[in-house]
Amino acid sequence: MNVNRTSAGNGDGGTPARESGRSRVRQVAPRSSIATALPDAAGEIAPEKRARVWPLAVATLVVAALLALSLFVGVYDITDGELGAEMMWITRVPRTVALMLAGAAMAASGLVMQMLTQNRFVDATTSGTTEWASLGLLLTAIVAPSVGLVGRMVVSSLFAFIGAMAFMLILRRIVIRSTLVVPLIGIMLGAVISALTTFLAVQFNLLQMVGTWFMGSFTSVVRGRYEVLWIVAIVTLLVFLLADRITVAGLGREVATSVGMRYETILIAGTALVAVAAGVTTVVVGFLPFLGLVVPNVVATLRGDNVRSNLPWECLGGIALVTVCDILGRVVRMPFEVPVSMVLGMVGAVVFITILMRGRSRA
Amino acid sequence: MTLRTSRKPRLLGLAAIAASAALVLSACSSSPSEETDAKPEAGATVSITDNFGTVDVPVNPETVVALDNHVFETLTEWDIDLAAAPKGIMGSVWPGYTDNDDVVDIGSHREPNLEAIVAAQPDLIIAGYRFGDSYDDIKKQNPDAVVIDIAPREGEDLMSELKRGNTILGQIFDHEEEAEATNAGLDEAIAGAKEAYNGSDTVMAVNTSGGKIGYLAPGVGRSVGPVFGALGLVPALEVEGASSDHQGDDISVEAIAASNPEWIIALDRDASFAPEEREEGSAPAAELIAGSEALKNVPAVTKGNIIYLDANFYLTEDIHAYTELFEQIQAAFAAA
Repeated sequence: MNVNRTSAGNGDGGTPARESGRSRVRQVAPRSSIATALPDAAGEIAPEKRARVWPLAVATLVVAALLALSLFVGVYDITDGELGAEMMWITRVPRTVALMLAGAAMAASGLVMQMLTQNRFVDATTSGTTEWASLGLLLTAIVAPSVGLVGRMVVSSLFAFIGAMAFMLILRRIVIRSTLVVPLIGIMLGAVISALTTFLAVQFNLLQMVGTWFMGSFTSVVRGRYEVLWIVAIVTLLVFLLADRITVAGLGREVATSVGMRYETILIAGTALVAVAAGVTTVVVGFLPFLGLVVPNVVATLRGDNVRSNLPWECLGGIALVTVCDILGRVVRMPFEVPVSMVLGMVGAVVFITILMRGRSRA
Repeated sequence: MTLRTSRKPRLLGLAAIAASAALVLSACSSSPSEETDAKPEAGATVSITDNFGTVDVPVNPETVVALDNHVFETLTEWDIDLAAAPKGIMGSVWPGYTDNDDVVDIGSHREPNLEAIVAAQPDLIIAGYRFGDSYDDIKKQNPDAVVIDIAPREGEDLMSELKRGNTILGQIFDHEEEAEATNAGLDEAIAGAKEAYNGSDTVMAVNTSGGKIGYLAPGVGRSVGPVFGALGLVPALEVEGASSDHQGDDISVEAIAASNPEWIIALDRDASFAPEEREEGSAPAAELIAGSEALKNVPAVTKGNIIYLDANFYLTEDIHAYTELFEQIQAAFAAA
């Protein structure tokens, strides 16, 4: 434990997480038993706790620095008098808050999705969930154009839920020979749904609007136009509350039922959370590809599979990734912006392929 | 052959006027001999030069199919019947064609029903523009029809291109005088707007869609880009390598605020769709620009110097639309 603490003290954000992560893998499983045996083991837990907190604290600082950087990146000179200071509150703060909310929620819901499907390659984008959300969004524009932002999010989330459930049901019916088949099914489903969306958009002359809508971008996030995104903060919080159950559900239906858990309930609750996160972010910012895939995978590689102790890392990772991508997008073509989905797509694809290759070579 | 002059980009408005005037004069002087009647006899043709070369087109062709949005307004004015048209991309601007069941629907350019063109057995097909990709197919499938593409060519001066297309239409449909008057109207509107411009105010052109703002580059930006060159406007923000596509470049409100434009010219791309029932997420341009907190101190907003393009501009983009736009700009500049 001492080793961990000193290495964490070096201040390097990446390495301490990895080292302590290795040792944690062994600690994780019996954690609940440690908690029940707390009075006996009290003497040992104190330093262990500290060791666990250190890397997290460092990572939090790094993410906080990124967020601070995000506040200061932009075209307008915010040091320029009163208006500059006001601009901070009009565009920079909302944007940074939106990055936090969306990043944390998408990463957390990616993790939930992966636990529930017991597959590493599933997230909202590879299960077709976002495509369903966008179909819902388009339908609101066609059927009830005046429904407003909230109504649109409700419909979008509802469609996302239907989509995620359909995906789960299909998974249950088929014999899976390879883990890669699962995301393939999701991507296939998503392609069918997005084809339908495109067809409808063409029929109703909405194709251009759809293109702009679904392009994940924080450019249009300003005060007064993003606040509904706080809903996903609730989602993230609920994921924290359900974390242990989701971990157990992740062990499969037999194990979960045998320890007395209502597996179906957790499955539906988890899916609903993912659906709300996907629906709301799709309506407010658009697609954030790979986010829910890359972050949980990286965290799991470093730290193992306990949902509850990983969750803070998922959130930090999600925030960090989406913030870095957004800052990149803001800087690369200044004064124009490159949509975050584009940067995320490139970064995500590289990370995803790396994970795939490493997985292969280890197997 | 009289159109040879218009193949080259004309740089000066004056030269353009002179050239088109000369062109019409020469056309007029040669035509009376063959067109003594109001209606030319069947079989009369006129030789025009379209984007692909010289074509002999029957004068006042009997069955016409038009696919290029630039021509509908002119054809409407001249009461030209169409056998088929792409109703899917015509919005509600030309009800005379879209609401007429005798006009076969070809759909949109993304999913065109090209067979409908063949079935109409047209004498003349005005192809091109959004249907540019289908040009070869259309030509192959309709060997008996004359296929022309008179849409403005990329890289050429848009205003000359619009006049060129209009002049050709005038020759084909025997409305040369009207075409000339329309061309002169455009030149007049440009001259008027130029005169009203104080020569120093900075201008930013944007488009809006789905609640987002895109930057339209001077010169190349969709719809409004060519206005900069035509009027000699000073851009509030000029960036190398800006996009010329229909979405424009992703730009934040703070970047617009930083460039501090005196004028904003805005194209609302969603405006032509369901204008009476537009949804909140795709806030109209007015709400996005004039209602933006970040832009409230920009001169264009404080002085109300925002020019919104006609709701249907994205669909029309023809010589009439630009003439009206320039008149609108002139009025706005003059009132400021």
